[in-house]
Amino acid sequence: MLNKFDIQIRTEQEHAVIETAGYLNDALGEQLSEKARGLIQDGYTQLVINLEKTTLINSIGISILIEIIEALDEREGTLNFCGLSATQERTFRMMAIAKYAGIFPDEEAAIANL
Amino acid sequence: MNPNAAEETIQRLIFSLSELEQLGKTLISGHSNFNVSSKTYLRITLGTLQVTRGAILRFHPTGNHLTVVTSTPDGVFSPIPIEPDEVASLLQLPSIESACPPASLEAFLKRGAQLERSIDTRLWIPLKIQDEFLGIITLGELFGRAELETWEKELLTTLAHQISIAIAYSQMVEGIQGEKFRLFMLAESAPQICQLLEPEAAAEQVVHQAVSLLDANAGGLMLIHPQRHELEMHYAFPEIEAPNNGEPGDDKTFAIPLPEVEASTPGNTAPVANTPQSGVIADPVLEMLAGVVKEGKTFHCVAAANTLFSGTHLMAVPIQGRNNDILGVLVVGDKEERGGRITAFTDEDAILLDSFAKQAGVAIENAHLHQEALEARQLQAEMEEAQKIQVNLIPDRLPDIPGYEVAGHYEPRGAVGGDYFDCIELPTDGWGLAIADVSGKGMQAALLMATLRAGLLSELSSGNARVESEPRNIKKELIDMALTLNSLLHVSGTEEKYATFFYSHLNPETDMLTTLNAGHNPPLIVRSDGSCAWLGEDIGGLPLGMFPNDMVPLIAEYETEQVKLASGDVVVFYTDGVTETVNVDDEYYEEERLEQVAKACRDTEASDICKGVYDAVMAFQGEADQFDDLTLLVLRKK
Repeated sequence: MLNKFDIQIRTEQEHAVIETAGYLNDALGEQLSEKARGLIQDGYTQLVINLEKTTLINSIGISILIEIIEALDEREGTLNFCGLSATQERTFRMMAIAKYAGIFPDEEAAIANL
Repeated sequence: MNPNAAEETIQRLIFSLSELEQLGKTLISGHSNFNVSSKTYLRITLGTLQVTRGAILRFHPTGNHLTVVTSTPDGVFSPIPIEPDEVASLLQLPSIESACPPASLEAFLKRGAQLERSIDTRLWIPLKIQDEFLGIITLGELFGRAELETWEKELLTTLAHQISIAIAYSQMVEGIQGEKFRLFMLAESAPQICQLLEPEAAAEQVVHQAVSLLDANAGGLMLIHPQRHELEMHYAFPEIEAPNNGEPGDDKTFAIPLPEVEASTPGNTAPVANTPQSGVIADPVLEMLAGVVKEGKTFHCVAAANTLFSGTHLMAVPIQGRNNDILGVLVVGDKEERGGRITAFTDEDAILLDSFAKQAGVAIENAHLHQEALEARQLQAEMEEAQKIQVNLIPDRLPDIPGYEVAGHYEPRGAVGGDYFDCIELPTDGWGLAIADVSGKGMQAALLMATLRAGLLSELSSGNARVESEPRNIKKELIDMALTLNSLLHVSGTEEKYATFFYSHLNPETDMLTTLNAGHNPPLIVRSDGSCAWLGEDIGGLPLGMFPNDMVPLIAEYETEQVKLASGDVVVFYTDGVTETVNVDDEYYEEERLEQVAKACRDTEASDICKGVYDAVMAFQGEADQFDDLTLLVLRKK
């Protein structure tokens, strides 16, 4: 699964869900950033990123996630994460990502808390 | 200056001051990421100076190129390469006009032609803090005037300085974030990996953590296989398919024989063998692995594409156990930086990976020890089960044969083997005496022995070995039975699984013993006068199950032999556990001692002969350890 890159987007009226699969490094991160920027430009400022199929993230992936949080913050938007492994959740808390974005166990909870 | 122009200038100055305040707010807003805030900086700069088009470019020193982070109008631009001497020129100049660039920057501007056309660039203003070059802001056509006024130029210098501070701050924050991430991952990884008690899961986790920790794009863990003396791939990321030679049992694992690795030690000029498995590996990779295994330190290499580890820029460190013995090699490849460019691993990266590998080594060793303990426990349970099966297959008591005495003894020693003996009353008349030794140990041996016994009983009950008055028929039937059993065992086991087997058909009315030997130890016949001979010693016969039936005639056909027994004659059937018993001086018991003991007690009952031989073997064994079962079957003509 880690060898495969994939990004799926589902948009609803008020929000959009981005689901990633594969290693969140520069390549996947840039794709994610581009998709997120596109959604923000289209007026979607309530985003959920589901990382259930992304079990591996490097520091560039983290910096790209921070970039998306900042871009959303400029538009006073909200970003919630879901599907994180225990290590990812600890990493997100340690990297202060959790201060600016919500972390929820599943997509349903992440959407409900936008 | 006319009053209108003066008023306009004052208004623009007021606007500029307010925009500068906005710029300051952006800088301290906590939006540290310049890629996000760059749009604001460009908007303020263009608005303040009344310029319609422009762009901000960021310098990437490791790649010696500039990337456009924002532009008005929006566009997608290729990175612009820049030479060190061009960076030096830019650091010397406050601005460069596209129309008349200095000679040292003409080539650079040509490389930036795509951007120049899109923006209609007039001015290139270097972004720098002291001697550190950070990027460039470009400005297009001025709105309603040909060139910047003096105060506008001063304002532009201030704006450029503010943007430079923003870039430097962003870089610093990114650096701190990266280091924070790595330190956290390093601290987090050890307890996480140590929890994994399955070697495959531990290997996968070690490689994933190392790849993530080093911002790498590839990795692999190779461990030394102590028995096979190979460096074997346990996990590779991205996963790669090992070459399949199409041979049975090919487990599709990358492995490099250690002698090949040793031959590739840096500085060693010995040629590297080109085996099918190592054929795909570039020599620098072998040299790197060799260096790590031999010297126990970090090695780097640049490999050709499509090598063992997917990546091209590789770094490898030793994986060491508790006693600092080298268990294997951890490799990472293709470190990336923002923008996707692959860069070389630094000395700091090497220290980081080495620290990680030290923790990983303990975790991997733990997982392997745990696995070994589990396997030992499983093996013990299997041995106990196998023992039960085997004991159940050995007869509790032997039948009474008119005019004969028969006695047997089975002694399990060490791991469960596959000895078997039996004395079977045939459906018509006569008796069958069988003794066998199945290769291997444990459950497989016990099951093969059970198969042999079932096959033998089936053959005997179906009458294949029924006594006929003509000796030639008996012989043929015994050979047919051997071929049937050979075929049965061959399809039931592997090449390594076979059984030595000795079968005797006794006709108590004629006292004729017809025997067939399938690779077993020749039984000893001791005549009443004390003379001795070995039954089946000179006749061929392969162990059962070793080869298919069609190959048997090409190697050694099964043959039979007949002897007539007289009163007082004794036949001692045995397995190699008797003659290969060793004493504390590492001497074998051998046939000669067996012959002496059997001869000495030939005038006693069969059970006493059996006990006499057993006691003699045990006395010879003394305190020495034994690893093979001991089986005896004694037939004596009253």
